[in-house]
Amino acid sequence: MTAPPAPDAMLSVRGVSLRFGGITVLDDVSFDAPRGGILGLVGPNGAGKTSLFNCISGHYQPAAGSILVDGTETVRTPAWRMARLGLARTFQHPALRLDATVLENVLLGAHSWLPGGPVAWALRLPTTRRHEREARARALELVERTGLGWAAHTRADELSHGLHKGVELCRALLARPKLLLLDEPAAGLSHAEVEQLIGTVRAVRQEFDLTVVVVEHHMGLISALTDRVVVLDHGAKLMEGTAAQAQSDPRVVEAYLGKEVGAGEPA
Amino acid sequence: MATATRPAPAATTTPPRSVVTRAAAAVAGLAVAVVLVVAPLVSSPYINFQLASIMVFAVALLGLNVIMGYTGQVSLGQSAFLGLGAYITAYGVLNDWPIALSLLLSAVVPAAVGMLVALAAARLRGLALAMITLALPIIGVPLARRFDGFTGGSQGQVVSWLRAPESLGLANDQWRYYVVAVIALVAFLLVRNLVRGRIGRSFAIVKENEAVALSMGVSPYRTKVLAFTIASALGGLSGFMYLAVVQYTSPETLVFATSINLVAAMVIGGSASIVGTALGALYYVLVPVLAGQVNSSRTALISGAVLLAVLFVLPAGLVSLPRRLARRRSARRGTRTAPHDTADDAATPTSTDGSAPAVPAPAATTTDQHP
Ligand SMILES: Nc1ncnc2c1ncn2[C@@H]1O[C@H](COP(=O)(O)OP(=O)(O)O)[C@@H](O)[C@H]1O
Ligand SMILES: [Mg+2]
Repeated sequence: MTAPPAPDAMLSVRGVSLRFGGITVLDDVSFDAPRGGILGLVGPNGAGKTSLFNCISGHYQPAAGSILVDGTETVRTPAWRMARLGLARTFQHPALRLDATVLENVLLGAHSWLPGGPVAWALRLPTTRRHEREARARALELVERTGLGWAAHTRADELSHGLHKGVELCRALLARPKLLLLDEPAAGLSHAEVEQLIGTVRAVRQEFDLTVVVVEHHMGLISALTDRVVVLDHGAKLMEGTAAQAQSDPRVVEAYLGKEVGAGEPA
Repeated sequence: MATATRPAPAATTTPPRSVVTRAAAAVAGLAVAVVLVVAPLVSSPYINFQLASIMVFAVALLGLNVIMGYTGQVSLGQSAFLGLGAYITAYGVLNDWPIALSLLLSAVVPAAVGMLVALAAARLRGLALAMITLALPIIGVPLARRFDGFTGGSQGQVVSWLRAPESLGLANDQWRYYVVAVIALVAFLLVRNLVRGRIGRSFAIVKENEAVALSMGVSPYRTKVLAFTIASALGGLSGFMYLAVVQYTSPETLVFATSINLVAAMVIGGSASIVGTALGALYYVLVPVLAGQVNSSRTALISGAVLLAVLFVLPAGLVSLPRRLARRRSARRGTRTAPHDTADDAATPTSTDGSAPAVPAPAATTTDQHP
């Protein structure tokens, strides 16, 4: 019934269903994210967008369905192995170590590719130190190009919410992903910050040859960035098309009006 | 909380730690090192015993800090590993093992035990894990009494070992102090290296947020098992050191109360901090001694009062004292408190975190916007 995964898809979601107790959070969701593209995932609050991300990243185990990342079936792969398969994500509510500097927070992103186990680290082997220096240089580069260079050595708790989102993005990018999931990256950002975010995502997508899936209520960002959007409502896919098609689709309008108008949603 | 949304001019050029702070830390470190080397040569055997005890419990605390301070998993069983290490060492002494073998096994066997416990328990969260670690000393004490062929039962094991080589001209207490000090130094260096890089970041994120850990390629389960194994190895090593200093071990060595006191000392010193660990060991050994000198029948009461007093004044532990003082000083000068903007004298006095403005702002009651 469901279509076979498209051969050029970086991400193929097929028939994914997720239940908590008796509640169906995701109901037979299927879509593809074409390699190198930016896919939008929209829908009213509670539609299941974050839950879908959690299924893709391995944080949730779907009751049914299949998820292929770059051709590899990952439904049974533990979440912590997904980074090595090329997946990185940000969270709707940024989760940083507030007592650590921006740079330290970003450096966590290097964990999956940085070599060296506990023994190598305890002994501070020269190769281990060299790898750490390289990771640091890369982290600084990312922090600078997202406009956070001035804050590299500032503790995260001294920064605003909008900057936390930027730090999270850098952390995810340092993981060198092939597939990047962004969960409401523009929520709580100022207009100028959103503009900068759009520029950053475009630039890194190009440079790192990324495939991006972005959940967002900010229609300006969705229109500016995405090639296609998938609309979720009540855990099911409502439609798929361009951002303009989605915005003019009466079902989508009704889904949003049935709840509350999407923009400016509370966390 | 001072919230920066735009680049602060002072922040662009400042390094992570100022040169002055680094120099002060280096001088302080050198002074401590000199004292630690020279002190036993000029002190009484009693003082040397206390100094050596500080080394012993510093290593036990170091292990506890790895699992609890850095990785955020409550462990109430550290005394069990200390006791196990001490018993293994005593067994080695009584059976004429080479000292290097005792040293090795005093760490490796507790590490293996700790790893097995963690493999089973680390899937559990929060209190469940704490309860399992709590069971270790509670089961360990009767086990130590029962297996008297290995442990000497309730009487414990008295050993006489680690005598100073004659050629050195050192007394036994001095020699034993130097032995445990070197072990402590090595253990501290290894752990300091470990918690700074990739592994340290994985500990920290498991403590902070397991979902983020997972998304960045860190397995919280494996990380907890690793941290608990290291904690157990260090606990066992401190048992070796304990036997070197005390020359005696019994079921008393691993009682639950010791675990609890170690947790208190870790918090007092400063969790997730190497310097805090050393300060915690000072507290652990010296406060009961000093309290006993004040009033020998009220030792526990006085120790408890010191514990409460420190926690009220310095919730982040003794290690946060310099930061607290610096913050106070800058607050009094009316500058902002972030470490990077000490040069930023122009900042308003009202922007400091939490501290009340020196001059109350004009009341805005007349322009109340609410209907
Ligand atoms: N861990 C969970 N346990 C129970 N219900 C959950 C859980 N995670 C999400 N849900 C439910 O799934 C639904 C979709 O939530 P979510 O995926 O966060 O929506 P969205 O991100 O689209 O706003 C909500 O009704 C939410 O309560
Ligand atoms: Mg969401």
